[in-house]
Amino acid sequence: MFWLIDRGGGGARLGAWRQRYGARPLRSAMHNVKRTRQTPEEREARKRKEQTKIEEFTSLSQTVLSKKKDGDWSQDAFNLTTRLLQVNPEFYTIWNYRREILINGTFAKSSPDEIKSVLTDELAMAMSALKAHPKVYWIWNHRRWCLENVPNVPGQESEPSHLGWKQSAWDRELFVVEKMLDTDPRNFHAWNYRRYVLARMPNAKPESAELAYTSRKIETNFSNFSAWHQRSKILTSLWAQGKLDEAKSREEEFELLRNAMYTDPNDQSVWMYHRWLVGTGGGKTILEREITAIQELLDEQPDSKWCMESIVHYKRLLVKSCADEVDVTSLLGECKELYKRLQELDPARRRRYQELAEEIDS
Amino acid sequence: MAPSTTDVLLTDLHVSYVQKLGQNKDDLTYHLTSHLRLNAIYWGFTAVCILGRPDALDRDEMIAFVMSCWDEEAGAFGAHPDHDAHLLSTLSAIQILVMQDALDRLDVDRVVKFILSLQQPSGVFAGDKWGEVDTRFLYCAVNALSLLGRLDLLDKEKTVGYIERCRNYDGGFGNSIGAESHSAQVFVCVAALAILDRLDVVDVDTLAWWLSERQLPNGGLNGRPEKLEDVCYSFWVLSALSIINKVPWIDAEKLSSFILSAQDPESGGIADRPGDMVDVFHTLFGVAGLSILGYPGLVDLDPVYCMPANVIETRGLRKNWQALPRRQ
Ligand SMILES: [Zn+2]
Repeated sequence: MFWLIDRGGGGARLGAWRQRYGARPLRSAMHNVKRTRQTPEEREARKRKEQTKIEEFTSLSQTVLSKKKDGDWSQDAFNLTTRLLQVNPEFYTIWNYRREILINGTFAKSSPDEIKSVLTDELAMAMSALKAHPKVYWIWNHRRWCLENVPNVPGQESEPSHLGWKQSAWDRELFVVEKMLDTDPRNFHAWNYRRYVLARMPNAKPESAELAYTSRKIETNFSNFSAWHQRSKILTSLWAQGKLDEAKSREEEFELLRNAMYTDPNDQSVWMYHRWLVGTGGGKTILEREITAIQELLDEQPDSKWCMESIVHYKRLLVKSCADEVDVTSLLGECKELYKRLQELDPARRRRYQELAEEIDS
Repeated sequence: MAPSTTDVLLTDLHVSYVQKLGQNKDDLTYHLTSHLRLNAIYWGFTAVCILGRPDALDRDEMIAFVMSCWDEEAGAFGAHPDHDAHLLSTLSAIQILVMQDALDRLDVDRVVKFILSLQQPSGVFAGDKWGEVDTRFLYCAVNALSLLGRLDLLDKEKTVGYIERCRNYDGGFGNSIGAESHSAQVFVCVAALAILDRLDVVDVDTLAWWLSERQLPNGGLNGRPEKLEDVCYSFWVLSALSIINKVPWIDAEKLSSFILSAQDPESGGIADRPGDMVDVFHTLFGVAGLSILGYPGLVDLDPVYCMPANVIETRGLRKNWQALPRRQ
């Protein structure tokens, strides 16, 4: 039914690809392309210019698709898929055909060493495609396939070096995905791929290294919710395995958040992560301490919606979780007051605040 | 003062924009998007249906094209004749055939076999035999099986279990276990749960909060925190909100104006945002968003299936979603 298309990032590199292959990058053909008015003459001129490219593309497509039908697994056919994918990297059927050629043609008559070197070339080809089209699902997908097909080193079955080729391929992959995240730190394809590589690489990296990676990403930019998200997953796992002292680590997270909140009190990422952290436990003491801390920030920034939203949420949590130990009536009264202010401050979500306030009365 | 052209929905222009899409064969983009053709026909056809003009596109021609995309080897549909079968294009084909009341043309048993063969031990679905997995494909499978009346063949426990493991603390869902919440993935997961009658898996208040925070000061919606607005999120976010009955948690009027301002007032169509090139994908999701918001004159859209509501009602598949009342 649909294609999920996320936006932003990677735009700078598109120029070179376009010049080289004269094709419009498709994903961005649907996103963020400025509308320009053309006179009928300009339109005609463009059409004439495009005519040759259309003929080239359609005839190349037909040739490749008919070779596919005939089960042609030759090097010649393989080279044609390279050309076609350079023009249109979203042509998934051609990626499929390329893998069919590799499996049935190339691999069938190659030594493990040769297979390894073919896959290394293949990963390089996919890399240059990804640089130009960082959000094309099919390219990421092809990379996974290549990676999973890197053979074992022959003749060393009982040695640890048996996995040598695989290890170096997967290690390199982590480096590649870091480059992609340097270019666009929110690219969810890259993050998903990163999690996939981390979960499956033959010599697993300790999760503490991944925690350090998210620290670096967050320090560069507090707004990187993707990095905060990753951090929440890594911490959950480290705590569950007892590899980090949970209480101490939680305090360090609160400290990190405090800095972020004061840097930009309007940044959603920070507040969402704060909500996660509070939800991981700590009870009444932490809830009350955090409410006080946020209240201090609110006193400095009296119009901060996120301060109010968070205070009201945590006060209601207090009422819910420790009704016997707190002054319920006054806390709920304060919540109603905050909802009233939020309605004025954030009218787009007025109905939500109204409903939540009514909930208190009912 | 007369309203400016983009204060109102330019229905006729959009219909003619969609009609002309198939005639752009001297446009390079038309050819470079052949791998999306069947999806594009579904987008265009659903858009004209919601605009109240289902007859704008030729029925026989459309059905013939759909059938020409059948991949005999796989037993499902590719996006174009001679392209490989995939769940994304297979769902588009089934949706079109259902909307055209032409399911009798389909080898239902074979296509059901194809779909079921793609479920993985974890419960998620692969898109095709090459094995890429994503909650998008899980939704495609659930939607298609439901439209074909074969949901009883699905291992529902396993399917729901996977979605449950994709749920994040912010109430949202990602494309796989561990992935960040994303509005479009929220839509596919919530809609699949609705079809499977398992909305109990959703933490409604938290999710509705996260979804309502997608609205930006200019009225548009984004897909994730601290990202830019985009017309297609009007559908991903709104559909999920309407399935959990929380559309009023965002500002409908501001969102309507944002969508309308992304129209091309000269040639029709809707873009990802004001001033950009239009395309059929954003045209559908803009119109779909307006329908959920109760825009006058539009046909009701079923947010679970993203098809006209009456088509889904006729088949007895309507779930308990709520859009805003249609304005006069
Ligand atoms: Zn979009």
